[in-house]
Amino acid sequence: MAGMVPPGTAMLGEASAAASAKKINDVGKKVDFMNLPCPIPYEELHREALMSLKPELFEGMRFDFTKGLNQKFSLSHSVFMGPMELPSQSAETIKIPTAHYEFGANFIDPKLMLIGRVLTDGRLNARVKCDLTDDLTLKANAQLTNEPHMSHAMFNFDFKGKDYRTQLQLGNGALFGASYIQSVTPHLSLGGEVFWAGQHRKSGLGYAGRYETDKMVATGQVASTGMVALSYVQKVSEKVSLATDFMYNYMSRDVTASVGYDYILRQARLRGKIDSNGCAAAFLEERLNMGLNFILSAELDHKKKDYKFGFGLTIG
Amino acid sequence: MASRVSLKSKGKSSGGKGSKGMEEKSTSQCLKEWSTWAMKKAKVITHYGFIPLVIIIGMNSEPKPQLYQLLTPV
Repeated sequence: MAGMVPPGTAMLGEASAAASAKKINDVGKKVDFMNLPCPIPYEELHREALMSLKPELFEGMRFDFTKGLNQKFSLSHSVFMGPMELPSQSAETIKIPTAHYEFGANFIDPKLMLIGRVLTDGRLNARVKCDLTDDLTLKANAQLTNEPHMSHAMFNFDFKGKDYRTQLQLGNGALFGASYIQSVTPHLSLGGEVFWAGQHRKSGLGYAGRYETDKMVATGQVASTGMVALSYVQKVSEKVSLATDFMYNYMSRDVTASVGYDYILRQARLRGKIDSNGCAAAFLEERLNMGLNFILSAELDHKKKDYKFGFGLTIG
Repeated sequence: MASRVSLKSKGKSSGGKGSKGMEEKSTSQCLKEWSTWAMKKAKVITHYGFIPLVIIIGMNSEPKPQLYQLLTPV
């Protein structure tokens, strides 16, 4: 297999000569280890793979209207009608048809971002991001409900250094976490995280690495909870990127692999994926007009015989 | 009535050591109670006040939007 030469290399001879000359030039340039770029935050390690492989699939009808009053301030009204899935222990999925209206207010400033969403049943979803100084950022995320003991809140303090980032997380229910990521070469960054959950008496340690170039991104993450996640995204052209993801839990022996594509066209964005669990999904966002987007979502789970289709309209 | 009788007898038997133990217990207990009370109040305040806070901050940012723009759909 190693000896076989792929066809078409003779035609690309000139292009490959130019590419190898560039590579020699790049290698000749010494890597400046004192001036490495700042790595991306630890929780966004799998960002490209998540964007391609995990779009916001939904079932039912969705209508979102965002009205901007200002450059920074906008209100959003959102209506959703469709079956909501209840988490159930049995193999059968239990769906309950629901309809709700959600009102939201967003204030987006370079230094302060406040996003709040409230549903008709009284649930509040709040997100705050505040730049306390140039390098220190406070992020808070809360889901508050009227039911007792069902509310969650999480506070993150992010510190950005020259070529590293650290984050401290505090959550309700005595949840503590810390993570650190460092740029090791201009393309490679490595990081680790540790967390402790007081309520469940669990603690964990994890390591992650990310290698990125202009054309591809490869990430790997291992955690002491038994999770191993690897992902690879290749940017085939300006409009097309392909992604693949592999998740393995060595405690529960669960394996999931998925392959997906992401087409970013002028008027539309189409994402599709297929899973090793027999689940195929696609998500289309089509720009009908300036500010008017039409969304179609489909998820076919052949194993569970659960087929979900959704459509929606987004204005603004 | 029965509980009052039992508390009295407990106080008599423990004596001085018992009273000191109850005081220490009450400071940490007080702290826990205060922090729980503060968290409950903070949760209620955030629940009802977060969206109005965002709207107030937004209405006071430049350029100032008018009040009717908050209600009309266009």
